[in-house]
Amino acid sequence: MNYTDVITAKNIKKRFGKFELNIEELHIPEGFSTALVGENGAGKTTLLNILGGLRRDNEGEVTYFKENKITDEGVLERIGFTGTKNYLLPHWNGNQVRELSEMLFDNFDGEKFDSICKSLNVDDSVFGAKAKPVSKLSDGNIMKLMLATVFARKTDLLLLDEPASPLDPLMRDMLGDILRTYIAEGNGKRSVLFSTHNISDMESVCDYIIIMDDGKILERGFVLDIKEKYVVVKGDERDYEAASKHMVSAHNGKYGFEGIALSEKKNLFAGMNVSFETPDLFQICVSLLKQNSKLQMPEL
Amino acid sequence: MKLLQNSGIPIYKQISEQLKEDILSGKIKEGEYLPSIRGLAQDLRTSVITTIKAYEELESEGLVTAVHGKGFFVNAQDGELLREQHIRKVEEDLMQAIKASKVAKMTEDELIDTLKVLIKLSEEE
Repeated sequence: MNYTDVITAKNIKKRFGKFELNIEELHIPEGFSTALVGENGAGKTTLLNILGGLRRDNEGEVTYFKENKITDEGVLERIGFTGTKNYLLPHWNGNQVRELSEMLFDNFDGEKFDSICKSLNVDDSVFGAKAKPVSKLSDGNIMKLMLATVFARKTDLLLLDEPASPLDPLMRDMLGDILRTYIAEGNGKRSVLFSTHNISDMESVCDYIIIMDDGKILERGFVLDIKEKYVVVKGDERDYEAASKHMVSAHNGKYGFEGIALSEKKNLFAGMNVSFETPDLFQICVSLLKQNSKLQMPEL
Repeated sequence: MKLLQNSGIPIYKQISEQLKEDILSGKIKEGEYLPSIRGLAQDLRTSVITTIKAYEELESEGLVTAVHGKGFFVNAQDGELLREQHIRKVEEDLMQAIKASKVAKMTEDELIDTLKVLIKLSEEE
């Protein structure tokens, strides 16, 4: 696949206590939608905050649009960012969010913002004389408000931290349409990077995926390549020992085992009673993340 | 275009097969451009990578040609040429089967018999 980077980063490091974000190399392809996946605490938000220029106390270099630094004139104008809950300060209300956006960004179109809020059915209590502060709004309304500030501007790159999580199924479905339209209207020059836990819901808007674990990148690539790289293996309990040696991760149960393996190792299962299946993104993410996870099934 | 989410056939394959039908039936004509990859992804509600893969399938079959910066246009569909391409595909697939048969230690006769049985089965379908 031929592509150029919209973001290239090298040796990004940031330490908090025991946690260290350590990314040797990062490439976000231009003209595509990239999903950032990982367990809570893997470093997704830290990375997005660094890429969005919200946090600048890290080591390493980030290049945008092939030649720019975040501090170069006009670069922040070209980037739209939505954060998690405290990105909009709790005491602000919708009117202030609109005013601040107008002040901060030359390309903010107030009328477009109003019409987007209306289309997304943002609650009436968000604006007007009796506007509620952000702390009193539902998570869904806060996310809609942030999305409206971003899409009321002409940008070339979106960095969205968990945009789907607070949205209901209908709005999540529409977010897919919104992102695909944004990309399509950019004619290959607009890109999106979003973090998500809802990988199944977002698969239809995910071209490239980066799986993070404990501050590092565990796997990355174009979705169809990654799906070809791995294969789901299911087999009988008695083959578990032998099969699991060739697998990335495997789980044995009463009725057999299941897990994923590298496709290139398929022939090592010869002689075992196993079935192969093309994985979906969710299976790949879960299987890869399980390898190092501290998560355990509790005794109930 | 009808795309089935749970048919077991990858979405890109469903897209390329349906476009192929449209091209071979003349519904999309020679010299015409296919919709842009990102525009089609938007309309079909799929990822961009899915439509790229679909177009690459059509390109590898010689049905369309990629022009840098302009997209994919439909090639002249030469009947003889198409037939040759399909024969090549058959040869490739048979070669795969021959390799697999060696792994399974099948004799030549067993392989030919299997092929005959499969031909009969596919005719009954």
